[in-house]
Amino acid sequence: MDEAVPPRSRKPAAPPAAPPAESAEAEASQTEALNERAVRLAQYYRGKIETVPKVPVRSLKDFSLWYTPGIAAVSREIEKDPSRSLDLTGRWNTIAILTDGSRVLGLGNIGPQAALPVMEGKALLFKYLGGVDAVALPVDVATPEALIDTALRIAPAFGGINLEDIASPKCFQVLEELQRRLPIPVWHDDQLGTAAATLAGLINALALTGRTISSTRTVLLGAGAANLVTVRLLIRMGHDPHSITVVDSRGILHAERADIDEMQLHNRWKYRVALETDGGGRRGTVADAMAGADVVLAASTPQPGTIRPEWVQSMAPRPIVFALANPLPEIWPADAHAAGAAIVATGRSDFPNQVNNSLIFPCVFRGVLDARARSIPDEVVIAAAQELAAVTDRISPDHLLPTMDEREVFPHVAAAVAQAAVKLGIARVKASRDEFYARARDLMARPAALAQALEASHLVAPMPDEPVPSRKSR
Amino acid sequence: MKRSTPLPKETHPENRTPAPVHVRRATESDVPALVPLLVRLKRLNEEFDPMLKVRPDVEGQAESILRSEIQNPNALVLAAEGTGPDRGKVIGVVRAAIRERPFYMPETEGIILDIYLLPLYRRHGAGQYLVEHTIGELKERGAGIVTVEFPAQNEIAGRFYAKCGFRPITAHHARIL
Repeated sequence: MDEAVPPRSRKPAAPPAAPPAESAEAEASQTEALNERAVRLAQYYRGKIETVPKVPVRSLKDFSLWYTPGIAAVSREIEKDPSRSLDLTGRWNTIAILTDGSRVLGLGNIGPQAALPVMEGKALLFKYLGGVDAVALPVDVATPEALIDTALRIAPAFGGINLEDIASPKCFQVLEELQRRLPIPVWHDDQLGTAAATLAGLINALALTGRTISSTRTVLLGAGAANLVTVRLLIRMGHDPHSITVVDSRGILHAERADIDEMQLHNRWKYRVALETDGGGRRGTVADAMAGADVVLAASTPQPGTIRPEWVQSMAPRPIVFALANPLPEIWPADAHAAGAAIVATGRSDFPNQVNNSLIFPCVFRGVLDARARSIPDEVVIAAAQELAAVTDRISPDHLLPTMDEREVFPHVAAAVAQAAVKLGIARVKASRDEFYARARDLMARPAALAQALEASHLVAPMPDEPVPSRKSR
Repeated sequence: MKRSTPLPKETHPENRTPAPVHVRRATESDVPALVPLLVRLKRLNEEFDPMLKVRPDVEGQAESILRSEIQNPNALVLAAEGTGPDRGKVIGVVRAAIRERPFYMPETEGIILDIYLLPLYRRHGAGQYLVEHTIGELKERGAGIVTVEFPAQNEIAGRFYAKCGFRPITAHHARIL
């Protein structure tokens, strides 16, 4: 689920839940070709985003307005009232993508320089999907405190901060502290984005199988950033904590596990979940956890076989299986269906039901920036998930969530986020839902138009390795 | 024993109802249930400081020490049980001792050596209750001062005992040879 939006051309509407049985070899060579092409194109384009003016520059004379002497008056306005920086500069729509490079995609601790291409890609997504100007900012810091300090110091330039690819549990400490100390929204996509996308899919899956959240038994496989947040949000939405079983590499997480004291010292977020759920009344292994469960939400090892078909068979009738590891799911969808799963979701775009944070983060930032929210509390995250679930067109077991081609739903989610912020009293801009919707729709539509114009005029060069630049008109 | 909420003033074990844990003197038959709790505490101490590296025979040591202390009039071993449905389940252990202070007054010192409560039972002032109960027992045996030992790096314990009215009195430094 760290996976960004895949290129649209990758595969047309996939056959439902077919395991890519062709061969692992074919899959591997395809991946290799994609990787090679990505490096070639990176070399060709040398970066994915650039700064362009958003004001007319008819001649250098105009700089007396955009720069000195005129700009001094603008600075004085902000000096008198610092909140005006959100009106008089691009700050209202600009966020930082801040990372220490300590857990980049599946690559691990690769450091800030190596994280830059990923952050640039994320900035492109923020712009293209959310109309948000994002600055890629990998920083060289040795401690969580230094990362926090950096965020505090750069905040005056930004309307929000998106933390990216930071190792767990450090990411919890950094997010909590920044949310507490900064007057602008701070988000960590690997915690909140992934959890919200998962919840949105789950809400529809529960509805389709006639379940309610309060009477569901849920197993979470993996106790990383996303799953720990998913547990917190599930409980907030009314899930009984004692019907939640979290399993990590040492088995079921519970209050009397041998490593519980160590956990309190080194990962108090996981510790809290251990105490609150206490294994959902269970002890033992994955198999013990899954027997009779309604739902399994796996964000663990990217290896089919991590979830065994017989464990799915042991679940309650018509179970829900989310195998969200990337690039390989914990169980192939066809195997899960064969074992009785009623609904299967993965992190991949080539199967039905892709749980993708790209459905969430552009909308959340569009919404909080438009409402000028001071923060992003869990209620806002839940509002985003609920709205995404609600606006999904014609839900079915193979269509839990919108695909990336159904982005017309995005402004609705953004408006729901902005409205939730207003309701919670954390919005500096108060507007109606319709007004927020219209604003989000316009701002989210602009980047695609920009991209089209730039490509049409060849100011953005066509793909060098495609003979005919193929541009589908929308 | 970490993060318990501050206790209201009427914390004296006897006039606080309902008690968050049920505390009693340990007997020989409690030893099998107490050993793992004591071992958990020692392993926790190791997390704080490599100078507190736990011996491979820690279980056997814990068992024989508990057995002998239960018989020893100058030692005190308490077992904490849960309340309600957890009554009868041993969820905590206390080791304490009485010793004379040849040079200082008050002359009789009660020492709290180890206190461990399972995490799930640490809220609702259970830790403080356990400490106060232990102090009560030590007082009955003539203690005029009570001391407590814990790893210097364990700041959580430091804050907890400060809240219980303790302050540092002597320092205990070490050097590996």
